[in-house]
Amino acid sequence: MAKKILLAEDEKNVILGVRTCLDAVGYQIEIVEDGEQALDSVRREPPDLILLDLLMPNVDGYEVLKELKGKEETRDIPIIVLTAKAEEEDRQRAMDLGADNYMTKPFKPQELWDLLKNYLPEHDA
Amino acid sequence: MKLSNLPVPVNLDTVANNLADPLFLVNRDKEVNWLNKKSRELFHTSDEDAQGAVITELTGIAKLDSLLDDVFEQETELKCSYEEASVKVKRQDQRYFFKISINPIFHEGELWGGLVQFTDVTRFHEMEKIKTDFVSIVSHEFRTPLTTIIVGVEMLKEGMLGDLTPRGKEVLEAIGADCERLSRLIDNLMELSRIESGTIYVEAEPTDVTDLVQEAVRPLKFQAEKQGIELITDIAPNLPPVAADFNKAVWVMANLVGNAMRYTDPGGTITVRVRQRGKRLFFSVQDTGCGIPKEHQDKIFRKYVQVSGPGRKGTGGVGLGLAIAKDIVMAHGGEIWVDSELGKGTTFTFTFPVYYGDESVKLPEAEEKGG
Repeated sequence: MAKKILLAEDEKNVILGVRTCLDAVGYQIEIVEDGEQALDSVRREPPDLILLDLLMPNVDGYEVLKELKGKEETRDIPIIVLTAKAEEEDRQRAMDLGADNYMTKPFKPQELWDLLKNYLPEHDA
Repeated sequence: MKLSNLPVPVNLDTVANNLADPLFLVNRDKEVNWLNKKSRELFHTSDEDAQGAVITELTGIAKLDSLLDDVFEQETELKCSYEEASVKVKRQDQRYFFKISINPIFHEGELWGGLVQFTDVTRFHEMEKIKTDFVSIVSHEFRTPLTTIIVGVEMLKEGMLGDLTPRGKEVLEAIGADCERLSRLIDNLMELSRIESGTIYVEAEPTDVTDLVQEAVRPLKFQAEKQGIELITDIAPNLPPVAADFNKAVWVMANLVGNAMRYTDPGGTITVRVRQRGKRLFFSVQDTGCGIPKEHQDKIFRKYVQVSGPGRKGTGGVGLGLAIAKDIVMAHGGEIWVDSELGKGTTFTFTFPVYYGDESVKLPEAEEKGG
């Protein structure tokens, strides 16, 4: 079955890029443009995996991590951070908050697909 | 021209006390024998209190101890100055950065003490900080648009968004290659700004030399093969571990090998050697490339300088790799240099100290507590 991915990202062009990338391999994708919407969406219908930007309006990615990884019912949803923040401190902070992986922009589609395959092995388009 | 020959009486005290830089005269026991007005003002002391006081205690700058030891042990006239030895001093909620120069003073052929001069480089540090922050912000801002471009180009190249004409494919390949270049530039700029901001630490840990070399060389083997270059590693047996920050040391090695690959023609050889001499390990990367002209050899470790060889244009580098490599090696207390002969090849060598015990080094300078 096709796996569902929630993309939390506020840059329109990046959304287009990632969406194209995920469509190509048959993932179902839901897009939200800030952290608050991300939390709402997870509450409504938990995805199989979250691709999370860190710098977003309202509630930022760190807050989303804290909230989701701090709760029993959402703790097990894999969260991959997709961010332009390449400093080691940012990576460490995200990993400390429970991020499952951390990918810095820019990245190639193949790198994203490989990473997703690790967390969603039974995905079937 | 002599002070004593001036039409108006000007003595040495007048000159010294009007200097903008603090100045101390210390004996071999590091006791202050004399200081100028600026020193008294900055370190809140008087001639009476300062007389005979040990300079490290008077200034609160512990680092002076080892710097003076260095000068006194050499026992020869040093040209001064310790470029790397700027220290941060906090006085009345204001931070100063000083570069310290020490000149040994001889009396009747015997080393008597030293003249310690502080040069205020606070403004310079502020400018550096602004530049570093700017570089960091710019490289960060480049990452997001580059994501869209790279993802798009890759998908188009793979034909996942429809068919392309052969010319279209060619153009996309070129765009893809230039995106790689931009990514590399951004990574290098970030690395450099990190090093310059002094916010990163070099954690010198016992590091296995074979691991270090393999980690650096492994990802490049495939590329070397594709280019028809033989990549040889020659590590002396039973080498002790070095005191190095593993990731940064790997970065230096990988950068040197990557450089060598860019300047070596198919059929050439790149040899990575590690040898021990005394308390240091010597890592060298030797290529059979085009060589570096003599006049460029002393410039190549500077920022934004590209190594160019005869008949070669830019090779996709940005002229930062060697500058960063030098910063990293020096932060470990090592050295890096180049030997090259036109048409025959180039050897880059750097040293790391053998690991003896617990040590960690902070870049780019030690922070000292004052007042």
